[in-house]
Amino acid sequence: MATDLRISNISKIYPGCIANDNVSLQFKSGKIYALLGENGAGKSTLVKILSGVVSPDNGEVFLNEKNLKLSSPLDAKKNKIGMVFQHFNLFETLSVFENLSIDATEDNKSLRVRINEILKKYNFSIDLDVPVLNLSAGQKQKVEIIRCLLRSPKVLIMDEPTSVLTEQETEELFISLKKFCDEGILIIYITHKLKEVLSLCDEVAVMRKGKVVSVSQTQNERVETLANKMVGQKLAKIKKKINISKNKDEIFKVKHLNFYSDDPFETNLVNLNFSVKKGECLGIAGISGNGQNELFQILSGEIITPDTSIIFRNKEIAKLNPKQRREYLMAFSPEDRISQAAVPELKIYENVALNNFKSSNFFEKGLVNERKIKEHSKKILSDFSVNTDNVELKSQFLSGGNLQKLILGRELITAPELLICYNPTWGLDVGAINYIHETLIKINDQEKSTILISTDTEELLKLSDRIAVIYKGKLSKIMPSEEVTPEKLGILMGGGSID
Amino acid sequence: MSLDISFIGILIGSIMASSVPLILAASGELITERSGVLNLGVEGMMIIGAISGFALMVITDNLFIAIVGSMLSGVIISLIFGFLTQSLLTNHVATGLALTIFGIGLSAMLGKNFVGIPGKEFPILFSSLKESIPFFGPILFGHSIVLYFAFALPFLTNYFLKKTKLGLVVRAVGDSPVSASNQGINVILVRYCCILYGGAMCGLAGAYLSLIYTPQWIENMTAGRGWIALALVVFATWSPIKVLIGALIFGGITILQLHMQAIGFRIPVQFLSALPYLMTIIVLVVISRDSRKIKLNTPTSLGRIFYKEK
Repeated sequence: MATDLRISNISKIYPGCIANDNVSLQFKSGKIYALLGENGAGKSTLVKILSGVVSPDNGEVFLNEKNLKLSSPLDAKKNKIGMVFQHFNLFETLSVFENLSIDATEDNKSLRVRINEILKKYNFSIDLDVPVLNLSAGQKQKVEIIRCLLRSPKVLIMDEPTSVLTEQETEELFISLKKFCDEGILIIYITHKLKEVLSLCDEVAVMRKGKVVSVSQTQNERVETLANKMVGQKLAKIKKKINISKNKDEIFKVKHLNFYSDDPFETNLVNLNFSVKKGECLGIAGISGNGQNELFQILSGEIITPDTSIIFRNKEIAKLNPKQRREYLMAFSPEDRISQAAVPELKIYENVALNNFKSSNFFEKGLVNERKIKEHSKKILSDFSVNTDNVELKSQFLSGGNLQKLILGRELITAPELLICYNPTWGLDVGAINYIHETLIKINDQEKSTILISTDTEELLKLSDRIAVIYKGKLSKIMPSEEVTPEKLGILMGGGSID
Repeated sequence: MSLDISFIGILIGSIMASSVPLILAASGELITERSGVLNLGVEGMMIIGAISGFALMVITDNLFIAIVGSMLSGVIISLIFGFLTQSLLTNHVATGLALTIFGIGLSAMLGKNFVGIPGKEFPILFSSLKESIPFFGPILFGHSIVLYFAFALPFLTNYFLKKTKLGLVVRAVGDSPVSASNQGINVILVRYCCILYGGAMCGLAGAYLSLIYTPQWIENMTAGRGWIALALVVFATWSPIKVLIGALIFGGITILQLHMQAIGFRIPVQFLSALPYLMTIIVLVVISRDSRKIKLNTPTSLGRIFYKEK
């Protein structure tokens, strides 16, 4: 039976922000719909309204012309609307089966039979009796999907499902979603990744600042046109002039970097040697989990490895901790903004004070110099166009892009000679990515160096002067980026050889 | 003193009796904490249970009413905690501490007229078997009904949490209230129920002290047992069976060190008095070393305020 979902004039206002402004959309089964927008465009609010988590101030939802009252998640479930949240709604300490049985109405035996049928049908392999916390992100998502499928949904909403998945898992997900679609489930796919929209979806609605700004067939769209609709202005094309010169001094040199760990979740690093020149960007590519975490931690001084030599500005720094390395004018931007780079519960100015460099005078005689820190924070907020000027705001209320700008601003205010960043644009929207990329290029233009560890090959090709690939803890040879193509990188990242 | 076999039987019987309030209060608190609520008011709820049970016994001369009344008073005082933390979203730790201080003060005030009144003998079951069977008699028989209930409770609690749907819901709420709410579970209601249940068990634990263990009212008679119960829950890593083991060790060493003091061991009294605390912690830490199991049993959201989006 065909399903027809219609959203009519939905509005939701939060204090100080209009999350949804008179949104009307129509969806029909047999197609995959994309809901595209930057972070904060109102996609998630709309989805929460459809799943009954939040109730709208105004407007109505119709399923097959029936007016739905969605005042609780139960109502959405009853009306066969299934939802896979971006941050999984699973109980980590309960087993997979317990997670699935918690809202089931049937007895455990027949539930198990039905789950196994679904596992078989869609080729999922998940052990039902292990606790969810032992699963990978991709498996957790499958558990969420199974939970929806158990209720034979008419509508399946996926909220930014690929933000935590590997490429392989993403492909698997897309195959499953196309199957669901063929079986007549209406799929609404929320994302800010343009390529996914084009490769997966049939129709795309773009949201900006709470409003729907365009609805179109994906076949009539390209990455650029969608990006412009999403951001609302033409994005400047960033192009870096390659900046390679043999005469320049090596500012940073790593020799014999080895790392062995007993922890099965860590990757051993085997004899890494590389150097970075003044004003250069060295890109390190690789699929996540090939040793990037460990490499970043060793370069930043969080892990000290014996017998490694790290020369920075003609000094041996391999035994120094992160704070001491910062004093030699290194700066770091870790992958996980929330847990590694910033403390989300602290206010913006307090997070700025965490990078307490020598000349900062943030602390005097053991006391906090609040005025100074705040002044300094205000400067960062305006220099790096963070969209608030309130330094008292808790950092957790910043969007990912703004938090990353704040962190980069905090790191760059010391005018470091070398910035090491790891996936600096992970999970950000196009506008923020553009800004971060411009900033990183500017650093190189000022004759400062960067090491860019990233899983995004496009970003690496755009920003790096030279590129190496890390695979299972080993580094490939370092290549000038004009000799590198995405295909070559792909082969090396998969463990192949190009010689 | 000769350590003959019947003496050991009597000793074990008295150890069991002394651990009852700990088992009751800790089992109740365990359910509360498994739902993600940290109620530090155990001591306060116990002492309120103790005075209301005793007062009702004196007034009505009916032990059944006294026992039920003590549980009800535990429910009522925990309702205050529930309303503050769940409906008004106050901090769990501060509210629980306030509850304990409030309970101790209120019980002292209410209990003024009951000091010095002798208690009533509480009926014991199978008293004839207690005398006739050596060793096992004093262990298995001749106890109050509350003791038998207390020793069944950890197993019932374990069954409830592991095997029943409702137990699953309680664990889910303690793991992630946001996910539970998104699944349509009424988190606030579940937490209220767990808080009230914890209150009832603490009330009963208090009544056991004032009606059965030392049948009279003494100001501040719980003497820190509520805090021990709280510590037991944590050190037993939220496992009901380990709570039982911990309570028995604590009760056992308390009794044993009293005997050692009486016999006149050449060990400083202060050290002997500290022994139950030390040994309980050491044993529970040793039997709870499996970090994976700890992770699975720990209510992830413990003590965090849950706020439902609207």
